[in-house]
Amino acid sequence: MTSRLEAEQLFKVFGRRPDEAVERLREGADREGLRADGTTAAVIDASFAVRAGEIFVVMGLSGSGKSTLLRMLNGLLEPTAGHVRFDGQDLTAMTDRELRELRSKKISMVFQHFALFPHRSVRENAAYGLSVQGVPRAERERRADEALALCGLAGWEDSWPDELSGGMQQRVGLARALATDADLLLMDESFSALDPLIRRDMQDQLLELQKTLKKTIVFITHDLNEAMRLGDRIAVMRDGRIVQTGTAEDILLRPAGDYVASFIQDVDRSRVLTAGAVMDTAVRGDEADCGCPAATVDTPFTELCALSARLPHPVAVLDADGTLAGVVTRARLVGFLGADQNADQNGDPSAGPGGEAVCDHDNGGKVTARA
Amino acid sequence: MPRLPLGDWVDSGVNWLVDHLSWLFDAVRVVVEGMYDGLDAVLAAPQPLLLAGILAVLAWWLRGLTAGVLAFAGFALVDSLNLWDQAMSTLALVLVATVIALVISVPLGIWAARSKAVGAALRPVLDLLQTMPSMVLLIPAILFFGLGTAAGVIATLIFALAPGVRMTELGIRQVDAELVEAAEAFGTTPRDILWRVQLPLALPTIMAGVNQVIMLGLSMVVIAGMVGTGGLGGAVNEAIGQLDIGYGFEAGVGIVVLAIYLDRMSGALGTQLSPLGRRAAAGARTAAWSHRPRPAVAVVGVVVLALVAGGMNVFGSAGTSEASGTDIGRGKELKLGYIPWDEGIASTFLWKEMLEERGFKVTTSQYAAGPLYTGLAAGQLDFETDSWLPTTHAEYWKKYGSRLEDVGSWYGPTSLELTVPSYVKDVNSLADLKGHASEFGGKIIGIEPSAGEMALLKDKVLNEYGLKGQFQVVDGSTPAMLAELKRDYARKQPVIVTLWSPHWAYSAYDLKKLKDPMGAWGRGDRVHTLARKGFAADNPEVAKWLKDFSMTEKQLTGLEQRIQQAGKGKEQDAVRAWLKKNPGLVDKWAPVPGKGARSGAAG
Repeated sequence: MTSRLEAEQLFKVFGRRPDEAVERLREGADREGLRADGTTAAVIDASFAVRAGEIFVVMGLSGSGKSTLLRMLNGLLEPTAGHVRFDGQDLTAMTDRELRELRSKKISMVFQHFALFPHRSVRENAAYGLSVQGVPRAERERRADEALALCGLAGWEDSWPDELSGGMQQRVGLARALATDADLLLMDESFSALDPLIRRDMQDQLLELQKTLKKTIVFITHDLNEAMRLGDRIAVMRDGRIVQTGTAEDILLRPAGDYVASFIQDVDRSRVLTAGAVMDTAVRGDEADCGCPAATVDTPFTELCALSARLPHPVAVLDADGTLAGVVTRARLVGFLGADQNADQNGDPSAGPGGEAVCDHDNGGKVTARA
Repeated sequence: MPRLPLGDWVDSGVNWLVDHLSWLFDAVRVVVEGMYDGLDAVLAAPQPLLLAGILAVLAWWLRGLTAGVLAFAGFALVDSLNLWDQAMSTLALVLVATVIALVISVPLGIWAARSKAVGAALRPVLDLLQTMPSMVLLIPAILFFGLGTAAGVIATLIFALAPGVRMTELGIRQVDAELVEAAEAFGTTPRDILWRVQLPLALPTIMAGVNQVIMLGLSMVVIAGMVGTGGLGGAVNEAIGQLDIGYGFEAGVGIVVLAIYLDRMSGALGTQLSPLGRRAAAGARTAAWSHRPRPAVAVVGVVVLALVAGGMNVFGSAGTSEASGTDIGRGKELKLGYIPWDEGIASTFLWKEMLEERGFKVTTSQYAAGPLYTGLAAGQLDFETDSWLPTTHAEYWKKYGSRLEDVGSWYGPTSLELTVPSYVKDVNSLADLKGHASEFGGKIIGIEPSAGEMALLKDKVLNEYGLKGQFQVVDGSTPAMLAELKRDYARKQPVIVTLWSPHWAYSAYDLKKLKDPMGAWGRGDRVHTLARKGFAADNPEVAKWLKDFSMTEKQLTGLEQRIQQAGKGKEQDAVRAWLKKNPGLVDKWAPVPGKGARSGAAG
């Protein structure tokens, strides 16, 4: 897949003499040194590429520069140095007018606190981007209603933003971003202000929508669980720098440095890991021949636990062709859950039911088992 | 510390502006006066109760039935107090000042909100405009724009400008930054962000600013009355000038009615204009007494009433033309100014009546002495009849004399004096005051510090009698002085007041003029009529009448007394009645050549 959006050595420095500060950063100066001079380095040497149709999550704590980074991707902020390329066009070389044109048609944005216009109805809010484009009223209302329906807000078109709950308001925000048919969606901590349950719903809905819409999404969050749940790939930021870019499993299994490692301690690994990530590829070859249910490489960790609990022996993992790819022992399951990535492969395959205690049996019924 | 000649710089700056930018000021004056005259004509045209009805329908539409009924009651009250014309001219003045203030202040506020530098630069200027005492701004306003509405409107709007700018700036800055960013993120142009996001959301705050502008404008109206804008402000000034508490209160009530109406209407307009406010109002409205007609109904109501009003005005104004042999003026306009002193009022309204009988169209307006001279020197007024020369108004004559024509004196001699009630036994002359300071609390009750008599008293009289340091001259105003006299007189307490003759106080109270053995007050003044440069050439007949005019003390005090009895607003009626009692005076003071022989030909 080709990359849709590319950031190349982006710097953003606030304060006096930013160019000088960039030089010093390139020479290895750090954020603290600059702060003493009254300049703030928000983003330092950030490079990444986002592929068409993927959800790229930028994860970092507050102050890590992720929001600044996001605003450089649609030209709301001009990078101090470096380039942003969208569909091969260099945003940094564009005029204000071209940038506005691009933002109104190709890139849309969803905000942390929804940023709905309180003086416009839900329909007018959803149609805002289209009205900026100059789309005639009848058409933009039709498209806005479609986008609202897509986000589960059919029937609320004539309401006002302050009449809706937080989750519904953010659906309006999402509908507003979708209504313009932009290819690139920038989501700035879009679910952070919502209750945990509503946040789960919104995450599910976004994933559901993404299955059909296949937008390119850059999603900012400070919540690693959310990052792992949503992200096809994740960039972890710290103090303005991207410290690691990779899939959820990469981050979890091969954290680059102590910072990321300390970060992932609290992550619910069972949500992220799949059979493919935890299996032991050293196989004899006949583990799948017993006719017992087997897992695929994509089987989630929780289902793997359920399978393992019902089998007297390690679970066989099959790849897409149905050939044996590896096996998962109970000891391995427990080991991964405990953040021990070097899980002992010599563990006792007939280890007691200790694994069951931590496995989620509720999901057992949904196992995609293979006979 | 070296003396910083700040005042001199301002003086020469003002003079430079007057000399070099008069074309600009004239243009501004024409525009402002045009707006005012147009609006005033519209407001004054219909029958008072009809216009009250129109205003009430507006209130009904904007706020509900109760507001409509109250508005009608309020305006009916103003009409019943005989203050309708003044109220409408004040309303016109405030509305014109408000509109101009908004046209200037809202864009400035927007600019200030968008640029930190502009905001920082504007702030001290706004502070200056808001806190500089308004009289200080008023005199330059007269120099630039001349006496009358323009100066009043400009002084009012300068005073009222600041809250408009500040509230606009605040309103726009208060708009949630995330909303502005959201608009930017969807590619909105800066101009559209302003119009579609910032202004609609800032509207409630901006309207609060508009409300402030209107209220401050109304509060300035009284002060603007001093430069001859007339209206309720003029009425208030007139009332305090003559210690007429009742009339002052009535005029004050008129201002209050206008203030409440404008406050509530501008508030309601803000709610109606803002989509958010409209929604909140719609949710809150349930009761029958807050029922509001639909806009269409309101518009129809206003239009019908306005048509009726217009129609009645057309029919009402028919058949008022007249022609007679005494029509010397042929509708020529003359502008008279006067200081609200008794002899000034008497002589001014006497001439108004006589000139109108002679076919002139006469307008009179009341001023403080300073603005009166300034306006006359600038040619804004035609003449005034109350200049005390050579002593009392010497300062003014020195400053403006070269730009004025002295038409001659009509009364004299006058005298200035310190006066005590006659129950004060031990003081009979100025020389007796020495050592008696404690008896009077060391105070001499003065009048306006700008009055010539005050300067004379402080600089000359006190020195010559060695009273400096013993007595303190209390600056104040003529009404305050008279009120103090009245109070102390009633309680039989010793008091020294600054007074002059002729004055009605001498007939009202038993007073004693302190003798002036050293002649420190100088010889008595005579009351002169002063006209603008070129007046005699433009109006030879009138100038001749004025030149030959003179009144005896008996005539003057008699007329003054009659005016005093008639009460406020009926000066001209009193003059008419007085002239009827003294037949032949009009023909004596304003003789028409060949009168009687020509009267047949004119018909």
